Amino acid sequence: MPRKTVARRRLVFAALVLTALVLLSAFFREPATGVLHSVQRSGFDVLSPLQSLASRAVQPFQDGYRWSKDLMRANSRNREMTRELESMRGQLVLLEEARQENDRLKSLLELKDADIFPKGSTFVTARVIGRSPTRWQEWVQIDRGTADGVALNQPVVGATIPTDQSLSGKGLVGKVIAVGEHAAQVQLIIDPESSVAAVVQGASDRPEGIVEGMIPGKLLMDFVERDKVVELKRIVITSGFGQIFPKGIPIGLVESVGEEDVNIYKQIEVRPFVDFSILEEVMVLTNPAPAGEAVEDMSSIAPQQDMGTGGQ
Amino acid sequence: MIAAWLADKGRLALALVAAVAFQTVVTSQLPILGVTADLFLLLTVLVAISRGATVGLVFGFVAGLTADIVFLDPVGLRTFIYLIVGYGVGWYVEEFGLPSAWMVVVLAGVTSLLSQGVYGIFQFIMGSAGGFMAMTRLQVLPAALVDGLLAAPLYVGLVRLRILPRPDAADPSFR
Repeated sequence: MPRKTVARRRLVFAALVLTALVLLSAFFREPATGVLHSVQRSGFDVLSPLQSLASRAVQPFQDGYRWSKDLMRANSRNREMTRELESMRGQLVLLEEARQENDRLKSLLELKDADIFPKGSTFVTARVIGRSPTRWQEWVQIDRGTADGVALNQPVVGATIPTDQSLSGKGLVGKVIAVGEHAAQVQLIIDPESSVAAVVQGASDRPEGIVEGMIPGKLLMDFVERDKVVELKRIVITSGFGQIFPKGIPIGLVESVGEEDVNIYKQIEVRPFVDFSILEEVMVLTNPAPAGEAVEDMSSIAPQQDMGTGGQ
Repeated sequence: MIAAWLADKGRLALALVAAVAFQTVVTSQLPILGVTADLFLLLTVLVAISRGATVGLVFGFVAGLTADIVFLDPVGLRTFIYLIVGYGVGWYVEEFGLPSAWMVVVLAGVTSLLSQGVYGIFQFIMGSAGGFMAMTRLQVLPAALVDGLLAAPLYVGLVRLRILPRPDAADPSFR
């Protein structure tokens, strides 16, 4: 290859690398209203109707695929459950214990629809039309934006209709981190950069902590003091601190409680009420802090900026 | 001469626009093995294979910039990764040739693996919590597999649409 061509290629390479790094640096330095953010927002606005359309078109195929997958699983699951049932019959004592635990949980779960979320909340129901392309981040794109009353930092909760009295599908989903006219980006609580101030419900000393997203898609409640008693299967709800999520939104159930000698806090694994892998519809709380509820000082919330990011 | 040059670049631009539409409408809605294929990266690899390092790196820059906007990533991140990919793959093929169609699959898979790795390192630098092994298992390896397997049919399709040149026209030893 001629030396001139090689030199020109190296020059182009160096120039483009430099440009990419300058772009990256400028993106982090500029405010959310900056040029690069605006370009990205425009792309977001242009592509979101297309995505919305595609999401609706693909839905029957996705449902069909899920249905056939469920059908294939049904047979083996039936055998599995029959075996399980046989085993359970021999464990009446354990069942009785489980029944008592169930009674206790049911009393906690008597929140019912109207009381699950803060009183006076108004919702905008939205369809999930896109997802983060990699699992390094966990976000979804919804088909509602500023035109529908959606704004930055509004909490988002699950809209799945439960088949029983449980909270399944009705827990906290995340918060709006970017908003266009007819679409918004929602950071899920399982995103590694998400953090939600939370409290374990039902415990006498109300252990408080921060529920953080963990790769890959798990929830960890951290900063819970070691002297607090945390029982398994307790409900974890938002504490209202942090001023984005109002108090009382269910997050999940305590699945395991870990303690390490070198750590001054407990580390609690929380199983979310929402199954994020099948999230299809969500509700955005458009007035997340009604009078008398947890957020006491709305004036201290940072002014709204489109396409901003960050944890609570 | 200029008309031919414009037509050639126009075809590549058209391929990129088609990738935006396809990525948005189809690929992002249909995850395979829990991940979605990255058409921008695949296009960069295939363009670099058939056009060489210089075109590969310029195309990688433009494709990466487009991906940053479509994927809502920090602008410049994928731009940087893909231009390196375009240059690296183009250089490799110029130096060692493309002896077999399987190399397209291997190059796409390896490139996806490496670019996911760089992307992951950036995420950790930015403070993402999480396990290296878990992300390798759930994201990096499946994405490399999906990208690798998708590269071959995409390559065939682009050659048939005359967006990319036939490999055997340039290299008679290609199988």
